[in-house]
Amino acid sequence: MRWTQAHIQTYQQAREYVDTAIIPLIPLQWGKSEKQIITMGEFTGYLSESLEKQFTGRVFLLPSFTYLTSESMEERVKRLKAWDNHFYQEGFKYIIYVTSDAEWKAAEKKLPDELLWMPASSPDSLEASQFKRLIEQQVEQIMPIFTAKWQSEPLSREN
Amino acid sequence: MSNEKRHRVSRRQFLTYTLTGVGGFMAAGMLSPMVRMALDPALEAGADSEFVSIGISEDELTDEPQRVDFQMELEDGWYTSEQARSAWIYKEGDEIIALSPTCTHLGCTVNWDSNENFPEQFYCPCHDGRFERDGTNIEGTPPTRPLDIYDVEVRDGAIYLGQINQRS
Repeated sequence: MRWTQAHIQTYQQAREYVDTAIIPLIPLQWGKSEKQIITMGEFTGYLSESLEKQFTGRVFLLPSFTYLTSESMEERVKRLKAWDNHFYQEGFKYIIYVTSDAEWKAAEKKLPDELLWMPASSPDSLEASQFKRLIEQQVEQIMPIFTAKWQSEPLSREN
Repeated sequence: MSNEKRHRVSRRQFLTYTLTGVGGFMAAGMLSPMVRMALDPALEAGADSEFVSIGISEDELTDEPQRVDFQMELEDGWYTSEQARSAWIYKEGDEIIALSPTCTHLGCTVNWDSNENFPEQFYCPCHDGRFERDGTNIEGTPPTRPLDIYDVEVRDGAIYLGQINQRS
């Protein structure tokens, strides 16, 4: 389900089945190497959408968490934790952060739930259909991460 | 003689009839394309049973369901968009069955034979919904109706899929 009016209606009727949120983490930067930054964002966006499509009945795709690359990691983690906590309290027991920005890898342990980091491949080096195929293959590989997560107890938040 | 007289048409009447007739034809000629254009989307929408090629031929099919992805053009008024669709397709004797991969519970994507505890079944990873090979939902799992089924056509050995039908 997505951040749209139509989907929130579906959600309200099926609330007990939807316990997982996806938050795409997308960096912003202009003036230098914006091309790589945009590639990361585009890839993360496609990947999150494909995951949502695969698991639409149990997963809610939230709007992207965006940050300037100049923002300190400490500050980003603090803000992301606030998002996480809000949605956790409202019934999303599993929250997955999807990103292509490797900087998050270093902060993984400080995050309250699962980080899914995938290196971005640039869509312009591939045909559109190949690019789609690539993302689908990645989704297939990521599927077990989701199902394994659902088999385990939700991580508790420290607060 | 008097009969002929009664039927005589005056010059004024003749011109009136002729001009009305010609004017009418001209008006009709101008209006009918407009009306046709205005109604066109409404007429098209009725033809929802259009078939699209899915890029696979009949002899590539086996009795094992295989997944095919294809594009379908969707028309909404004048706006046309391409939509990605998928199907699980296999042969049951001489009949070709193409099932929609969308779980009838909450819309996740089901996979064939993907869970080792439930071989030879369609399995939905979201809430453990299961379906038989022919798409029938398995009692005791969340889905309440079978998987939807596509209209199938074979033209010169190539497979074409049409609209999706709900079963109950």
